[in-house]
Amino acid sequence: MSGYAHPEVLVDTNWVAEHLSDPNVRIVESNEDMLLYDTGHIPGAVKIDWVTDLNDPVMRDYLDSERFSELLASKGISNDTTVVFYGDKNNWWATYAFWVFKLFGHKDARILNGGRAKWIAEGRELTKEVPNYPRGNYTAPPRDDATIRAFRDQVLEHIKKRDGVALVDVRSPQEYSGERTHMPEYPQEGTLRGGHIPTAVSIPWAQAVREDGTFKSPEELKELYGSKGVTPDKDVIAYCRIGERSSHTWFVLTYLLGFPKVRNYDGSWTEWGNSVGLPIEKGA
Amino acid sequence: MDRQAIIDRLLEHYERPRHYGPIADADVTLPGGIPECGDTVTIYLKADAAGERVAELRFEGRGCTISQAAASLLAEELQGARLADILAMEDATLFQLIGAEVARARPRCASLALHTLQSAVHHYQQSRR
Repeated sequence: MSGYAHPEVLVDTNWVAEHLSDPNVRIVESNEDMLLYDTGHIPGAVKIDWVTDLNDPVMRDYLDSERFSELLASKGISNDTTVVFYGDKNNWWATYAFWVFKLFGHKDARILNGGRAKWIAEGRELTKEVPNYPRGNYTAPPRDDATIRAFRDQVLEHIKKRDGVALVDVRSPQEYSGERTHMPEYPQEGTLRGGHIPTAVSIPWAQAVREDGTFKSPEELKELYGSKGVTPDKDVIAYCRIGERSSHTWFVLTYLLGFPKVRNYDGSWTEWGNSVGLPIEKGA
Repeated sequence: MDRQAIIDRLLEHYERPRHYGPIADADVTLPGGIPECGDTVTIYLKADAAGERVAELRFEGRGCTISQAAASLLAEELQGARLADILAMEDATLFQLIGAEVARARPRCASLALHTLQSAVHHYQQSRR
């Protein structure tokens, strides 16, 4: 992990295997497929579901600090617990959960490099046993939506600035161009306009990882983003379709490359592409 | 059925889906999908000679456990069913079949196969007019 700006936030499968029984460490699986955890998970891991646990049950938003505190306490997590996230789909939902934890300022959150797929590929143990931990002691501050989260109107102001800003579209090239409204292998949405937010550069999230899902080297990542004008001196916003893939890029820019100001626009294309009067561009 | 039994049954259907694969001479072949998580289900429907009941119902698909297991359970449940009953089937009935506690956590995934099947029935009935 050497060479990354914050190497402490990335752990490998060996590290996790050595800390399975560490009471100060809680392993958290966060997947798109809500039953995947039930088919087998890392021993001792708890599940946090992005829909039922992290989203507000009614409006499109995240849970508040009271619910967050209760959620974490129920999982045996305290304010000073080291939380290691892993999951399916190249850790999209792991970085998404990581990002939500950071909205509440959780201090020690980490990502298992390579996620669930790498753990399984190495033939490591899985279990169906659901752990039951003593209740944690958690008090979360109010959710901070100002530092690492961007909203629609902020993006609109962002793209009017000529200097010192960057906007990264992390979706597939086909979604960026407007040819498709979702990833090529996914069902397409009929109601959305296709295209991208003006001024956005296209850097698909997948370019930040190797075939096994682990992150590329610091040098490769600097070249990847720097070659498109995404540099640490800029105020950066990343977006995708609903904010999960862009949380992956947000993680890379913030923790692996050490950019000081990166926000995730979780409204993303499902908000922007459906909004009346917002500008869009088509084409590569 | 408790939550673990529901999950075990869903996992079993996910791993060994019933009535999986195409029908060569289907009356209707209809794909459906959910953009949120990439689930897809293609329904193959063949009606009986009178056009009133399911003669054969099969599916193909990929995606999350709930969407695929729900398709399998539904295909198992609705062989020979009246088309009118399929159109009248409500999500709540389906959720009871699948296991409401789990289905309600991913309602769009759980109902993908049913909604696609209902569209397939509509297509079939319109083709006979």
